[in-house]
Amino acid sequence: MRGFLRALGAVVWKDLAAELRSRELLSSMLVFALLVIFIFNFALELDAVARANVTSGVLWVTFVFAGTLGLNRSLAVEKDRGCLDGLLLAPVDRTAIYFGKAIANLVFMLVVAAIVLPVYSILYNVNLFAQGGLLWVIFLGAEGYTAVGTLLAAMAVQARTRDILLPILLFPVVIPVLVAAVKASSGYLQRLPMEEILPWLQLLLAYDVIFTSIAFMVFESVVEE
Amino acid sequence: MDTPANTVAYMIAGYAVIFGVMLIYIVSLVVRHRNLRQEEQLLEELQKEEKKAGKP
Amino acid sequence: MKSQPRLLIGLDVVTVLVMAVATYMVFGYAPIERVMGAVQKVFYFHVAAGWVGMLGFLAAVVAGVAYLVSRKPVWDLVGLGAIEIGLTFMLINIITGSIWARPIWNTWWTWDPRLTTATIMELLYAAYLMLRQGIEDPERRARFGAVYAIIGFISVPLTFFSIRIYRTIHPVVIGGGDPTVSGSFSMTPAMGATFAVSLVAFSFLFASLLWHRIRLGQLGARVEQMKLKLTE
Repeated sequence: MRGFLRALGAVVWKDLAAELRSRELLSSMLVFALLVIFIFNFALELDAVARANVTSGVLWVTFVFAGTLGLNRSLAVEKDRGCLDGLLLAPVDRTAIYFGKAIANLVFMLVVAAIVLPVYSILYNVNLFAQGGLLWVIFLGAEGYTAVGTLLAAMAVQARTRDILLPILLFPVVIPVLVAAVKASSGYLQRLPMEEILPWLQLLLAYDVIFTSIAFMVFESVVEE
Repeated sequence: MDTPANTVAYMIAGYAVIFGVMLIYIVSLVVRHRNLRQEEQLLEELQKEEKKAGKP
Repeated sequence: MKSQPRLLIGLDVVTVLVMAVATYMVFGYAPIERVMGAVQKVFYFHVAAGWVGMLGFLAAVVAGVAYLVSRKPVWDLVGLGAIEIGLTFMLINIITGSIWARPIWNTWWTWDPRLTTATIMELLYAAYLMLRQGIEDPERRARFGAVYAIIGFISVPLTFFSIRIYRTIHPVVIGGGDPTVSGSFSMTPAMGATFAVSLVAFSFLFASLLWHRIRLGQLGARVEQMKLKLTE
């Protein structure tokens, strides 16, 4: 167990340290996310009335697109530089590698969210931090998304058509996370009573538990060689 | 007594789609099978020729 | 291996016979529904096609697990065949659902949970085929296919629930959106019998098609191997 945790920590730390040095993944995710928000601003005419209804949708579409970018990059780097083979040769549990990559990807997504939320709050003069529940929803949604995303990205980067493949593989599978996260977020933002938000939170939790455990079970057969 | 709505056209369209799509799938199976069979025969002949050429 | 096994020929004959019986019962035996009229007859094969679609996707999961455990290439052929057939019949299900919706709810499309989930499944398994196309190594293709079939199928019930919760909170105005609300009908015994026979007939059809598809896959694998031998 201790060896597992140490390997896990090493994989996470490797990703974060590499990112701290190069900053290429986070910077591209961030610029992309901000661009998406600006495009939405003009595409949807985000005036005060429209905003109340679509804020959570805009936020989640932004996160998901930026997340796809990050996931693809994070696994493609491993594949191209031959790091994946190196990692697999190392005498560590394969699942430690999976959880390490998934946690690193989750951290990247949360960093993007941590910057997008205040920027959005400033741009539209709303305080998205007023509702603590929203932050929980973002955490749960991002967890489910990266749990499946890391697994599918590990498959996509080994295919010939990898750049276009990840979103096609990922989006139909994450629809429940997306619907639940958008509805729960907008529930918090519109200050709906808890019993209207609760089913969504339950769905998010169920998704996270189910998919994290399944991904963890099948990851070995994705990376074996 | 109400007379039922006249929806015969929709019924015909529905069953045309059902049998049409099934037929297309079965035809695709047959065509793929035939192509593979032809290829198999061709390869078998090539193999025989290679054996003959390799012997002497 | 070359000629068809007896059992398969027998299965084909039985399939054709039950399909003929089911078709006769739909048009000649089942009564015309009093409110909706003739279009209600689409119901029998519409549901049966959806049933075959689900059978196919379920079989693909079983085959996927079996492949990952046993690593026998035949399970990959089963999985691919089952998904191909599932896609074909789910497509029939979606299109006939749309044809049904038009006269009953006055719209080609409703965001009904079942119809929507069926369409998302169609996209999901189209992605499965694209994944396979992008991988050359047959062993890796089989592994990834098995993993994606498992992941995809597990997401389906969650997708269904997410859309259903969405619906109950936001009820649709046009025609109820849910077939149990408007466009529902009580089945007479004759209708029930027709429905049951249709389900049985389509189950036979599925078994027979899957068997043929697996044999096709085996033939393809054999040809592939001969090619490799010749190029060596």
